[in-house]
This record gives sequence, structure tokens and C-alpha cells, in this order.
Amino acid sequence: MELNTAAAVIRFAEEVEEKSAQFYADCAKKYKEGEEQFLSFARENKKNASLVKRAYYGVISDALEACFSFKGLTVEEYLFDTEFDEKAGLPEILKMSLEIEDKIQKFYQRAGELSESLLADVPRALKKVAGKRNERKHTLEALLNRTR
Amino acid sequence: MSVERLKNFIEGEWVDSESKEYGEVRNPAWDRLLCQVPMSTREEVDRAVQAAKNAFPEWRNTPPVTRARYLHGLRGLLEENFDELSRVQTTEHGKTIDESRGETRRGIEMVEVATGIPSLMQGYNLEDIATDIDEYCIYQPLGVFGHIAPFNFPFMVPLWYLPFAIATGNTFIVKPSPRDPMSQVELFKLLDEAGIPPGVVNLVHGAADVANSLLEHPDIKGMTFVGSTPVGKIIYRKCGETGKRVIAQCGAKNFLVILPDVDLDSTIPSLMTSFFGNTGQRCLSGANAVVVGDDGRFYKRFVDEFVGAASKIRVGDGLDESVQMGPLQNADSKKRVIAFIEKGIEEGAEVLLDGRKLNLVGDVSETCFLNPTVFGNVTPSMTIGKEEIFGPVASIMRAKDLDEVTEMIHGNPYGNAASIFTSSGKMARKFQHDVMCGNIGINIGIVAPMAFFPFSGMKDSFFGTLHGQGRDAIRFFTESKIIIQRWF
Repeated sequence: MELNTAAAVIRFAEEVEEKSAQFYADCAKKYKEGEEQFLSFARENKKNASLVKRAYYGVISDALEACFSFKGLTVEEYLFDTEFDEKAGLPEILKMSLEIEDKIQKFYQRAGELSESLLADVPRALKKVAGKRNERKHTLEALLNRTR
Repeated sequence: MSVERLKNFIEGEWVDSESKEYGEVRNPAWDRLLCQVPMSTREEVDRAVQAAKNAFPEWRNTPPVTRARYLHGLRGLLEENFDELSRVQTTEHGKTIDESRGETRRGIEMVEVATGIPSLMQGYNLEDIATDIDEYCIYQPLGVFGHIAPFNFPFMVPLWYLPFAIATGNTFIVKPSPRDPMSQVELFKLLDEAGIPPGVVNLVHGAADVANSLLEHPDIKGMTFVGSTPVGKIIYRKCGETGKRVIAQCGAKNFLVILPDVDLDSTIPSLMTSFFGNTGQRCLSGANAVVVGDDGRFYKRFVDEFVGAASKIRVGDGLDESVQMGPLQNADSKKRVIAFIEKGIEEGAEVLLDGRKLNLVGDVSETCFLNPTVFGNVTPSMTIGKEEIFGPVASIMRAKDLDEVTEMIHGNPYGNAASIFTSSGKMARKFQHDVMCGNIGINIGIVAPMAFFPFSGMKDSFFGTLHGQGRDAIRFFTESKIIIQRWF
């Protein structure tokens, strides 16, 4: 399925933030050694969702190309699984987190690029979150290295 | 199951109409009855005018800063109800949810600008126009104003006027379009919740009879109108006869001009928005796409990409977030647009994409739907090249240079908007300088002025002197009074 309108993109962004926040909340309960970091990710997800929604609702206008900015943004490319094996160790969970973050980062980056110059402020918010997800990948990689 | 009958809002109360005549409000995507709207009586208009007249003295004496606080309250309520307001617009009009949210945002921006009334309404003065004599100019409200709303932006258009009218101390009556009046009902619920005193804002449903009653009423100081040019001309004349101020924002035939140096990848989405956004039902919609120059390869590429993009537009229920274009607002509009398409074929235009062949998302009713239509080889003298279609139909034309484009635009009776798409500052500058249209876009498909600028318009697209929005609106809703003072 293609995300072809701003409304669809914003809804998908909300969904990925919610889904990954739940994943990190579940991880925090199970992996005490990563609890603080996972909870911090879950909290930041809410802020990300707010940031993107605020940008969209703040500038959405009948004059902007909200229905025609996005082309080739396919949902399937950015779907991720959050179910994990109860027996999985922290390194496996961190690898899984990295894969999730990679997909989310790519989604935000691509959405930001596609709407560049067509949707005021929205691309900036999308790219900002893409940047945050990228930082998160570095954090996860550092954590993973420490567990080795 | 009983169907809701909408009520009028007069003197701070929701009241049943005494009318026996009701119209139907239908969801155009599913062709479902939503509610019934009364065709209110002349007596009900009189009551609303009387209520507005009674409320005026106290409201005009309410300090501007206090009036602004009511609008701040309203703004908060509009933000709180943003999505619900947007959904109502899509439900009764058919536009996509993105478009409705855009409309809601635009409406809120009007309220935001009007909250600046303590600054916006200030007059000016000069000491010592002669020795020991000073002169002041102050702006004062006039009384009762009315508004006749169109169906294409059921929420936003009345807000082009209402916040400015009441912020300046006037009282106001809205007659919504009987085709989609629910958005105004929702707005008035929030105006009521914001605590605006009884009679300051009033809502009277109806059609031409209510409009005529407002136009002819001796206690109304001015009228605002958005709609077709033939009706706008009548309103302008009637307001002249009864000594009313008038803003009549009317029809359009907007030319979008494409130069071969354009960034086509960015331009195509902009053109899709302009021609097919709101299903082509706006006075700022693109109507004629004029490709400039004799570069045949560019022309072919442009046509291929334009038609390709138009053919991929997902058409369906606007509440489906994957839908990019909704239905026309009603079945009569669809018939009207089809008649234009048939006329285009009859007059020799080439059908590049026929929107009569429906390709719809989901199991919606076909009653009000058309897919995008694109014509090639259109000339400015063809019916589809010169008359307002108000639907999802694009006509592609060619011109040898910018001077020929300007001639084309000036040969058309309308003068609402025109846009140029180019990478050349020189060409853009020439275009904005030469073209006689009220709103000029440079790499912008929909030239919708922000709330703090006037919504301009020229020729048969506008009748009046001052425009809606911005400083023009402040001047329209106020009388300037001069005071010259000397103290002995």
C-alpha cells in the first residue's frame, strides 16, 4: 500500500511511534540492564509523534500539495515486527531494535525528501525525527558493543 | 429513523424554523441523507437582523481588547475541535480530509489575525494641522453585516469576514449554503460556547429568498458574498440600490503558465493540487495550463507527465486517507461538468483523459463522482477555454511567448488568479507586472492569500472596492471618522 497523502503519512508516523514505543516499554520490563534507555526511547516516541503532528496541523492548507507530495512511499518497506522471543537475550533485542530503528529512520528520511519544497515545515519535522532515529541507532550500536 | 432538522441561531438561541420548506443535505460520496435544512422565512431574517441590531450598541462599546478575548477563546475551541470540524466538512462537501484540515487551518488563521484588533483598528492623528489645532482619524463600526456563503468551502469562507466584522464591533448574520450548512452549525456552536453575547452572531439557513431578504433589508449596512459571477453582479447592484457596502468575490478562469525551464518534478504535484484539489471546485483552481514556447519535446513531456499524474489520482470518499480527490459536491454539479466536457469534444478539443470513465476507490455511490479530465489542443475561444467549469477538468493550451499568454489572460473576462511556473526571475517579474489578475502565483498552484493579506480579485471575479481579509477587511467593516479639535 502506498502512503500517498500527507494525512496517510502522518497517521503512519503516529502508528510507528506508538508501536515502537510499546516495544521499548515491553523491553524495559524484561531487560533491567537496558531499562532506562528503553524507557527513554518510549518517552521520546511520544514527543516525535507530537512534533510531526504539530507541524502538519500547523501548516496544513488548501494551497499546499498535501494530496500530491508523496510518490513511491510504500508501507511494506517500513513495516517491522515487535514480537520477541521470551528467551531472547539483550544482544538479540538490541539487534532487533536496530532493525526497527533503521526502518523508521528510512521512512522519515524518505517522507521528508518527498515533501521537500511542497509542504512547509512538515519535511523539516520529518527529517528532524529521522535524525533522532539515526542517533538512536548509534546509541543502540554502542549498547550492543558493550554486551559483546 | 427521523432525520435531524437544522436550526437557526438567533439572539444566542438555537431555534426551529417556522418554514415548511426543507432541503436535503447529502453526503456526496455515499449519496446518503445527512440532515434537512430549513428554507427560512423573511420574518426569520427580520428577527435575526433585529437581534443583530439590538446587540450592536453594547457590542460596539465593548473594548476592542475584550472583543479580542472572545476571539482568543473561539480560537482555542476551534483548535480543540480541529479534527471533528474537518470531518464534518468532508462528510457534507466530499473533499479529502487533508483538504478539510487545510480549510479548518485557514479558518482559524482568520480568527487569529482578527485577535490583533486593538492594533489593527487604530486610527491616526496629526498635531498642529494649524496652530493649536489637532486632527484625528478614528475607525468605528457601522452596525449589522451579512454574509451569503458558497458551498465550496463551507467552513472557511464565512470566516473570511465574521471574525473581522465582530472584532471591529459590528454584528453579523451568516446564511450558509443550503448544500452544506453543517460546518457553519458546528462553528456557531463554538461561537456560542465562546460566550459571544446574544445577537452578535446569527445564523439563518435558506436559499435565494433568505439572501434577497438580507440584501433588501434596510438595517443591514453591508454584505459579503462568495459565489458565481452572475449572482455577484446582482448582489453588487442590489447593494448599490440599498446603499450597502459590498464585497462580492466571484467566479474565475485561472491560467497556469508553464515555461520550458521549469522544474517539472516539483511543478506537477503543484498543478495536480491546483486543477484537481477540492475537485476543481474553488475560485483559485487552475483551469487552463498554457505551455509557452515552441519546444515540442518539452510540450510532449509536459503533457505525458500531466496526464500520467492525473490518471493516477485516487478518487473516492474523502475520509479515506489514501484518496486524493473527492466527489463533486452534488449531482447537479456533476451534470454541469459533464455538459462542459461534451461541449469541449463538440468544439474540437482533444480528450487526453476522460473523467467520465469512472475509476473509484471503494464501494462509493457514483452519483457525484467524476475522475480528472484533461483536454489538449484547447484555444481560449472554446467554451471550456473561457468559461468557469468548477470541476476537475484541465485544458492544455500553447502560446509562443509570454506576451501571447498575457493577451490570452486579458481576453478572458475573469481576473481572479494566474500563476507562472519557471526558473527565470526575469520572466516571473514580467508576468507579475503585466498580468491583470488579483492574485499572482510564482511557482504556486493555488494563490490563496493569507489572512493578513487581502483576497484580491479583478474584473468579473470581484465586485466592490475593498477585499476580504487583512487590512482591507478592517477598513470594510469600519467607517473613518475625522475629528478636528481646538481648545479655547
